[in-house]
Amino acid sequence: MLSIPSDIWEDMIEHARALDPHECCGILAGTDGTITGHYRITNILATMSEAELARFDQAKLSDLKQLSPEERADIAFQMDAQEMSQAQKDIRQRGITLRAFYHSHTFSQARPSITDIKIAMEFESYREKLNIPEPFHVIISLQDKTTPVIRAYRIRHSTATEVPVERR
Amino acid sequence: MITVRIPTPLRPMTGGKSEVEGTGNSIGELIDQLNGAHPGLKDRICDEQGEIRRFINIYLNEEDIRFLTGKDTPVKDGDEVSIVPAIAGGCHD
Repeated sequence: MLSIPSDIWEDMIEHARALDPHECCGILAGTDGTITGHYRITNILATMSEAELARFDQAKLSDLKQLSPEERADIAFQMDAQEMSQAQKDIRQRGITLRAFYHSHTFSQARPSITDIKIAMEFESYREKLNIPEPFHVIISLQDKTTPVIRAYRIRHSTATEVPVERR
Repeated sequence: MITVRIPTPLRPMTGGKSEVEGTGNSIGELIDQLNGAHPGLKDRICDEQGEIRRFINIYLNEEDIRFLTGKDTPVKDGDEVSIVPAIAGGCHD
């Protein structure tokens, strides 16, 4: 169960709307299931050249190479590594815990894609060695622009299971 | 020796291995040495200015090297270095 205070809930939706049609991404932190920290992270895909993309992940490039950087950011996200680390450092200094990664789907449902699950499993293979607690994966859907939907999932063994998320 | 964890997208360059061993007195030296054993690896990890690419984090044991001394961060035998892509995803299947 994830419990997200109204101000953070609204700020996440505002973040998703501000970047629409690009996907937004960020980190939620707190104690147990209660979120008290929210970090917007830059989706660097919109500013990554094909050459830069090719430096890292050929598989990702083959999916995305037909698209411009702007178009790629409409259907995918890549967190800025430095901002992600900065958030993790701040979380540690505040004595709270990383609880979730979030991103938006600007024209599809609030459920993890095959890509989301694959990348979550990749992260899972490092997580314990780096002493990072298991994160929830939160998706903000703007499929219905007037009624955004926020859902949370656990992704384990390549399977996403929805977990309750409440606004308080 | 220093154990280095390799993420899936870079494993074609390490013969499919998820962990390799390397040497060096700093992260920078370790990357150079790994590049000798696995040519092209450095280009995937570092940009044209030699800085760590903006979608990669490198951890020495449990600490991000950006909060230590970056590529000058000293390393020693028995250390574990993880090359970790920042979280990504997307709605396309």
